[in-house]
Amino acid sequence: MRRRIAAASSLAVLLASGLTACAAPRQTESGTTVHGGRVVGGKVVDGVLEYGHEQEPSCLIGGWVQQVYLMRQFLDSLVTVTADGAVKPWLATSWSQSPDGRSWTFHLKPGVRFTDGTKLDAAAVAYNFDSLLTGAGANSTAQAYLQEYYAGSRAIDATTFRLDLRKPYQPLLPVLAQGYFGIQSPAAMRRGASANCVHPVGSGAWIVRQWNRGQNVVFTRNDDYNSAPSTASHQGPAYQRSMVWKFLKDPTLRYGSLETGASDVIYDVPTVDWAAAKRSYAVQRYITPGRAVSLTLNATRAPFSDERLRRAFAYSLDRKAGVDSAFHGAYPYNGDGALSKSTPGYDPRFAGTYSYQPRLAARLLDQAGWTARDGEGYRVRDGSRLTAQVVYPAGSIVTPETVTLLQDLQSQAKEIGWDVQLVPATQSAYFAGEYSTRTSYDAMTGYWTSPTAGVMYITWRQDLANRPNSANIAFYNSRRLEGMIAVGNAAADPAQRQVAYSSAQRYISDHALAIGLYAQTTSLASAPDTKGVWIEQSQGEPVLSDAYFTGGQ
Amino acid sequence: MTAAANTLPARTIRIPAPTVLAAVVVVLFVIAAIFPSLLAPYDAFHVDLGETLRPPSFAHPFGTDQSGRDVLSRVVSGAGASLLIGLGATAVAAALAVVLGVAAGLGGRLLGGGVNRLIETLFAFPVLVLALLLITVFGPGVSTLVIAVGVANAPGYARIVRGQVLSVRRSEYVEAAHATGHSPARVLLRHILPNALRPLVVAGSLGIGQAIVWASGLAFLGLGVAPPSAEWGALLNDGRTYVTVAWWVEVLPGAVIVLVALALTALGRAMQRRFGKESG
Repeated sequence: MRRRIAAASSLAVLLASGLTACAAPRQTESGTTVHGGRVVGGKVVDGVLEYGHEQEPSCLIGGWVQQVYLMRQFLDSLVTVTADGAVKPWLATSWSQSPDGRSWTFHLKPGVRFTDGTKLDAAAVAYNFDSLLTGAGANSTAQAYLQEYYAGSRAIDATTFRLDLRKPYQPLLPVLAQGYFGIQSPAAMRRGASANCVHPVGSGAWIVRQWNRGQNVVFTRNDDYNSAPSTASHQGPAYQRSMVWKFLKDPTLRYGSLETGASDVIYDVPTVDWAAAKRSYAVQRYITPGRAVSLTLNATRAPFSDERLRRAFAYSLDRKAGVDSAFHGAYPYNGDGALSKSTPGYDPRFAGTYSYQPRLAARLLDQAGWTARDGEGYRVRDGSRLTAQVVYPAGSIVTPETVTLLQDLQSQAKEIGWDVQLVPATQSAYFAGEYSTRTSYDAMTGYWTSPTAGVMYITWRQDLANRPNSANIAFYNSRRLEGMIAVGNAAADPAQRQVAYSSAQRYISDHALAIGLYAQTTSLASAPDTKGVWIEQSQGEPVLSDAYFTGGQ
Repeated sequence: MTAAANTLPARTIRIPAPTVLAAVVVVLFVIAAIFPSLLAPYDAFHVDLGETLRPPSFAHPFGTDQSGRDVLSRVVSGAGASLLIGLGATAVAAALAVVLGVAAGLGGRLLGGGVNRLIETLFAFPVLVLALLLITVFGPGVSTLVIAVGVANAPGYARIVRGQVLSVRRSEYVEAAHATGHSPARVLLRHILPNALRPLVVAGSLGIGQAIVWASGLAFLGLGVAPPSAEWGALLNDGRTYVTVAWWVEVLPGAVIVLVALALTALGRAMQRRFGKESG
């Protein structure tokens, strides 16, 4: 009954929002199973897998995590990581680091080809790194990680590739496990950005056959696939002959597609449905490392140029209660603004530094001179209201539950006397850089997915005229903080590295530069007859090449 | 006194019951818009995390939303923004329509023909697409919604005005006004416009409800006002995430939008019938 009501509700929402294109019935082909496959050894294979995703990017490759989810399907990387952070072989069967820490040598799996027929050899890998970091195929996230470190690439022989750095960068291997560094066909890259954007070519388990904008990307199986990561459930081609990656941005619609059978697997289960999904479907949840979803405070203008007010703001918000309520207990609260608690190198000692303390918040505001209140209950000083403009990228970075959380926090802050103004940034405005300047917000909502505490070098490296850093969204420049993180990135000794990363986390916490909300979370729900779907561990990319069906015959 | 009253011919105005009902709904809507505290049982913005997604009850006739806020109070609170958008958008549309319609009707072959082509071109755009385009350019917000829906509705109204202007300009009383030496501006203001705008008033009264629905649709798509505003489309947008587990958050505000839009349309139709009789 519940299923029927949900399906009917989903249909109503679908009709109301005019998103009919997203929910076209699954195309089935004549075959022995409803998935259009055949039964081999108890598994239904050679069928069509229907995957309901969320965001549709403007290009199938790029530096946004939503692009990497797609890239993971058709690109292979040098290495991969496991849940405990161990680095495992993929295209690289082994690797070594020079004694000075500046050169990494990778030995590649022989006999791998891109799906355009060209060879995936050391020269192709070198071309990729040059292109991603300095050339026409530049990837903004790859550059954020490595551009400052990158010295060059060399193909020593057909299967030996060397990456040279200007200075040691110890988190290199887990960083390379992220799909941003997936290896593309140089021949395809040379076609230019526009062609590569729509029909990128890799050596992965799937081949991009058709991108139907606004609807889906249709993948076909790479029948010659021989380069699955060592962590995959099986080697060789994907079990299914085709995979339809549908863009179902509306969460109710997405979940409804699973309930009606239009999708076999969906991404980002709405948290309000999480408990029900756990009962009816196979669910997986991955707490993304990196920077948690946080409010990063603009340290260059009032009110948050005053450290007392940054602290007061943090103490004003009962973030844990807000997160537990808005996400129905499905997402973990993450009090730290520096790192997500699942990040290797995370130091838990600062998680509770800014617990909800309204009296302390009020005292700090009083000390800063914000003692009077206006007719609406907001604090005022010298005729100005205590206002904080909080920008959030609506419909792209944050979910509807996050908007609920922000409204709950806004209400809590009002009790203390803050006038928090929520400013939804449209996807186009946000990605066009409309909110990238020091005068465009007081606090920004966002996250960074990353398998290393070294991501702090991206988010906190100084933003200087001769060395700009658009990821430093607090606009907070501290040589000391940057230095701590740089020491951590360079330290070969894990203990020394941890000390440096911990110092940086303490610094960020002490200065109340960012207020953590919750850990960015990847969740998947699979229909009961769909098995083998898994989430890779560098940043939560869904892996669908091991998926098979057990029923539907 | 009574004898005199009894001798007068009885004149009764019969108002159909649906029109009365529509008027009651519209009056309630206007009261909610102007004096929300009279109808809202709670503070529409009071968050109570211990009372989230409660179903309708005596204490909360429309239930509570995902932040524990009283949905009825939020619907009442949102009436003001919705009325403002409905009236504002219709006013923008009507103002543009008068300018464009008069220019198309009186502007001669070059100006009139050009403006007419412009109206036809704009008319070819679906209202929603035109509004989306404007919101993309100017950013979301109440004023943008008013302008976007107003501009998007203007071509339809402009065609009405143009048709009326073309009809009226050839009427005998306009020709007589010209013949008696009135200036063109005086003829336009005193004779053409008053007679040409009557259908626009009727269309506008019908359009208020439609504008509210359009604005709600845009807000539903996340292109409306910023949270925590209780503008009706924003309520729908907020509620859709919870529709499978808390139908009241979505359905009851939606029902109110439908009811008000129907009531405004019914009143508009009643006006149309009345004006039709008078002009006929």
